[in-house]
Amino acid sequence: MLCERCKIREANIQYTEVINGIKTEHHFCAQCAKEMDFGPYTAIFDSEFPLGKLLSGLLGVDEEHKEQKTHQVICPTCRTTYEEFIKNSRFGCLDCYGVFDLLISENIKQLQGSDTHKGKHPRYHSGQESRSFSLDDLSEEKEEAEDGAGGSIDVKEQLRILDARLHEAIAREEYEAAARYRDKIRELKEGIEKC
Amino acid sequence: MLKWFEQADQVRPGVISSRVRLVRNWNQYVFPSRLPQKESMEMIHRLELGLKDLGTLDGKTYEYLYLGDLSELDRKAMQERRVFNSTVASKKTPTGLILSEDEGTGIVLNGTDHIRLQVLSPGLHLDELWKQCDQIDDFINSRFAYAYDNKYGYLTSFPTNVGTGMRVSVMLHLPTLSLGKKFNGLVAEMGRFGASVRGVYGEGSENYGSLYEVSNQKTLGLTEKEIIDLVNRVAQQLLTQENQVRRLALEKHRLEYEDEAYKSYGVLKYARRMSAKDAMIFLSRIMSGISDRILKMEKDCPVYPLMLGIQPANLQKISQRPLGKEDLDEARAAYIRTALPNLQGM
Repeated sequence: MLCERCKIREANIQYTEVINGIKTEHHFCAQCAKEMDFGPYTAIFDSEFPLGKLLSGLLGVDEEHKEQKTHQVICPTCRTTYEEFIKNSRFGCLDCYGVFDLLISENIKQLQGSDTHKGKHPRYHSGQESRSFSLDDLSEEKEEAEDGAGGSIDVKEQLRILDARLHEAIAREEYEAAARYRDKIRELKEGIEKC
Repeated sequence: MLKWFEQADQVRPGVISSRVRLVRNWNQYVFPSRLPQKESMEMIHRLELGLKDLGTLDGKTYEYLYLGDLSELDRKAMQERRVFNSTVASKKTPTGLILSEDEGTGIVLNGTDHIRLQVLSPGLHLDELWKQCDQIDDFINSRFAYAYDNKYGYLTSFPTNVGTGMRVSVMLHLPTLSLGKKFNGLVAEMGRFGASVRGVYGEGSENYGSLYEVSNQKTLGLTEKEIIDLVNRVAQQLLTQENQVRRLALEKHRLEYEDEAYKSYGVLKYARRMSAKDAMIFLSRIMSGISDRILKMEKDCPVYPLMLGIQPANLQKISQRPLGKEDLDEARAAYIRTALPNLQGM
C-alpha cells in the first residue's frame, strides 16, 4: 500500500485514530509521518527521542519526583492521598479540592480547558462554602499522617511541591505552566529572604 | 401512567430525546466513595425526608426508593430505560432514588455523588428541561447547602463534572448520515467544538439502530446556557445534514428505500425469533420508513419505546417471566409482533 499522504513511498506506519469511539485508520510512510502532527505521539517518529521518556511523560509518572511528592499530601477530612486521587481520578470530599489545588489545577485546566467556573451559583446557603484550604492549614494533620517525620507544610514544603511540579511540567514540555511555577517559587523565595 | 418516552413527540423526526443532568454534593458529608455505610444511610434518609414535598414544586408524583430493595432485574430494566447509569445499577453501597411516576425526573442519592438530578423528555427541548432542573436544584439547595467553591464551582467526585456539574445530551436517529464515509470526520469535527457524539447501542465500533447521543464534553468554564446552546447547535447541525442526505438518497434510490422499509416491517411483523441486534437494525429502518412517510400504519407507532422494550431486562419485565437467551429471542419476536400496528390498507 502506498502512503496516503505522498502517494509515492510504501506506507509502513499504520495510524489508528479513535475519536469519540469511532475508529479511523490511516497509512503513512515514515517520512510523511515524521512531518505530520500527531500531538503527543509525534515524538515516536523522531528517532532521537527516547521512547521510555515519552511513555512516562504520557502516563504522568516522573519517577524522580513521584516518591517525595505524593505520599506527603493527604486530605485531612477524608484521608484521600494525592496518589489515590491520581489513581482513581476521584476526589473524596469537597476539601480535597483545596488540599490538592496546587497539584491539580493544571490537570483540571487541561481536562476542562478552563479552571474557573462561570455558571450558576447556589442561591441559598452560599456563605457556608468558604472552607477553602490552603497548604498552611495542613500542618497539624500532616504530622499525624506522616508519624511526625516531615514536620509542618511550611514554605519549604510548598517550595518542594512547586519544584516537583516545575520538573513535571518541563518533562511534559509545558513551558507556560513551568514558567508559572518558576514565578511562584521565586515569589516564595523572595518572601523568605524578606523575613 | 405513560412513561416519558411513551409520550410521543412527532414534531422533529430524527430526535428521540433530550436530557439535562446536574451533579451536586451536600457540604455536610464527604463524597460517596469515602462515606461509611452508616453515614450513607443516614444521609440518604435525611435527603429523602427533606425532599418529601418535591411534588409540590412541579405537580408530579414521586416515589422514594432504596436501590438495595429493588431486584437486580428491576435495576437493570431501569438502567435500560436510562433512569441511572450502569455504575449506579451495579452499586453495592446504599443508594437512594427519587423518581417521578413518568420516570422523566429522577434524583439518585449517594451514587457517585450525593445528588444526581436528571430530567428527560422526548424531542428536542433542552431549554425547557434546564428550566425544570434549575428549579428543582434551587428547591434542593434551599434545604441542603451545596459543596461549592468560588473558583471551581460545584464540587464533584470526578473532575470531569466539576463546575456546572451539568451534562446535556440529545439522542438522535442518524441512519443515512452515519452510513457515509464522512461521518467519522464529522464526529471528530464536533469534538473540536466541545461536543461528543457516541453510538448508543452496539459494541466496539459497531452500532445497531443508528442512535447517537450528542453531549457536552466540558462542564467547567462555560455557563449552563452556553452548554445548552452548544449541544443544541450540534444536534441541529447533525439533523440538518441527516435530512439533506436522506432527501437526496430518497430521490435517487426511492425503490431501494421502500424495499428496505417494507422488508424490515415484514420481518418484524412475522419473525418467530429475533436477536436484539437484528431487532434494533430493523426497528431503525422502520423508524426512517415512518418518518419518510413510506410506511403508513393504522395507528401511531412510536418506535423508540419498542427499542427500549426489546432490551433484555425490560423484555423480561414485559413478559413477566425470567427468560434464557433462546427464550429472549422468541419473546422479543412475539413482543414486536403484538406491538407493531398493521399497515394501512393491508
